[in-house]
Amino acid sequence: MPIEAVAMLFAWMLVIVFLALIACMFEDLESDTGSQSNPNSQVQLAAQVGQVHRFFNKAISGEAPAYAMYCTTAGVIAYVLLLKGIHPLLAIPIGAAVGEAFHVIFATTAHIGRTAGSKRFEQPLYLDVLYGHLLPIATHGFMAVLCIVSIAYIQSNLGTLSGMSGLNHPFALPMLAFIWGITVGAIGSSTGDIHYGTEREFQDRPFGEGRRVVYHGKITRYAECGIRTQKDIVGFCVKYGGPCTGLTFGLIILFENWRTLVGMKLGGFLPDLQAINGDMAAILGIVIGIVIGIVLIMGNVTLVKWARKRYGPFVGE
Amino acid sequence: MDPITILLVVVGCVIVGGVFASLGVHLLPVGGAPAAMGTATGIATGTIMLMLGAAVTGLFTASTVATFSTNILLVSFSGAVGSWIMMGVTMLMANVIYVFGSGLVPVSGRVEVDPITKEPQTPYKTPQCDGHGIPTVSYISGMAGAFIGGFGGAIMYFALLNYAFPAERLVELFAWELGKAATVSATMAAIAAIGIFVANAILAAYNIGGTIEGFHDPKFKRLPKALFSCFFVSLFCGVFVCVVALLGGLI
Repeated sequence: MPIEAVAMLFAWMLVIVFLALIACMFEDLESDTGSQSNPNSQVQLAAQVGQVHRFFNKAISGEAPAYAMYCTTAGVIAYVLLLKGIHPLLAIPIGAAVGEAFHVIFATTAHIGRTAGSKRFEQPLYLDVLYGHLLPIATHGFMAVLCIVSIAYIQSNLGTLSGMSGLNHPFALPMLAFIWGITVGAIGSSTGDIHYGTEREFQDRPFGEGRRVVYHGKITRYAECGIRTQKDIVGFCVKYGGPCTGLTFGLIILFENWRTLVGMKLGGFLPDLQAINGDMAAILGIVIGIVIGIVLIMGNVTLVKWARKRYGPFVGE
Repeated sequence: MDPITILLVVVGCVIVGGVFASLGVHLLPVGGAPAAMGTATGIATGTIMLMLGAAVTGLFTASTVATFSTNILLVSFSGAVGSWIMMGVTMLMANVIYVFGSGLVPVSGRVEVDPITKEPQTPYKTPQCDGHGIPTVSYISGMAGAFIGGFGGAIMYFALLNYAFPAERLVELFAWELGKAATVSATMAAIAAIGIFVANAILAAYNIGGTIEGFHDPKFKRLPKALFSCFFVSLFCGVFVCVVALLGGLI
């Protein structure tokens, strides 16, 4: 037994990490394409302060419950197809496509409904904006959901794939898709939105200061060429906000799985899966996790100190 | 253990989980929509989404550990550490975007001096903003909140998995093979734990009412009311779980 099996376990973990990176990056870019989540409050407010715009206005719900729904729908469809004997290479994309069908329906109704609600502020419903954004929303969302369902499939069959069947995750595939759907949405909302909301949405305001309350609603409506739509925004956020968000989820999955597996290995639980070594494996996993957390705290303290020293106190009015 | 003790353990763990969830939510630096524009301090998302994201990440690790450890404290601490890593990475990367993507210095809007590092905050703050980014005090408060919340979610999961819907009981009731029963049992325990967790997190979110920076925020003083409410909500949920378990499980 299998040192190869242990190596396979770590290899599959890295595949999962890579998929997580891709998933969260596309999740954030999809939320920029459709203007979902917190920065959309400014898109909604813009018409109310007289700033008629050509932004897509898709506030279906918070990103976490929205992605939990798409991923769980996709996971359930994939799970049923797998139970019917369909090959995973077919079942998982079909599941993701069904999840995205729901997404596009919600995107359409949300945009039309929200824009219709702004009628009294003379905000028009631009059909070219509606039609032109649905496909980018669906394709970005498809990539995110496909990767999440793939992660759920690998994790629920991790033991079988690596040759140690006792290590299959106890949760069913749709439950794992639900868990990672919530997490990917929470991370995309809390990390990636900052680049869109703080920077791109107010790009004609001074760089290096918080967006003052008097700016709220007065979003940047003109692009480098012509009038700005969400397609200009996603092209900007893909250069920094999107990859940072993908890295966030990738690092979380890496640290979480890595510390558990290293704890299992050092505790003697791998490769023989003897229950007597289970507690030691858990203790080592916890200790490694606490060390990672302390390093993260030190990293943040260093970053804040650096920013204070480099940028200095606020100057201006 | 005799059946009465088992039921008391289930109710006790659900109460501990619910109250810890509420305490964890109060410690998170939640900025909501204003934080996404750099107008307020904290993480740019809703209270419940953030806590739930952290808690389910911890729950994933806790469920893995529960397959090879039967110690409730080890499983719960595994979940707590999972949540704390999730929150730590998320807040750090959020600050990376604030600092390098928007050129902002993370500062608190509620205190003039950081209670931990003693660094002045007001001179670095943009006028007409309630702070921006995640300063050190909020970061550490958020880490503590995620740890406590993750512990609460994982302890609930462990109690429900082993005492309320154990796989052996499903094998006995439906003559399933143990592997299938274990999958169903773990999934149902997780769904029940997440449901009770969300109920408590929502109560705490009502108490916060939008944004909070952490333990140094004046809103943190409202905590006792939330803990009191969550105690009773969790007690009700725990009793309900016992009734369901006594009737044969959630299937």
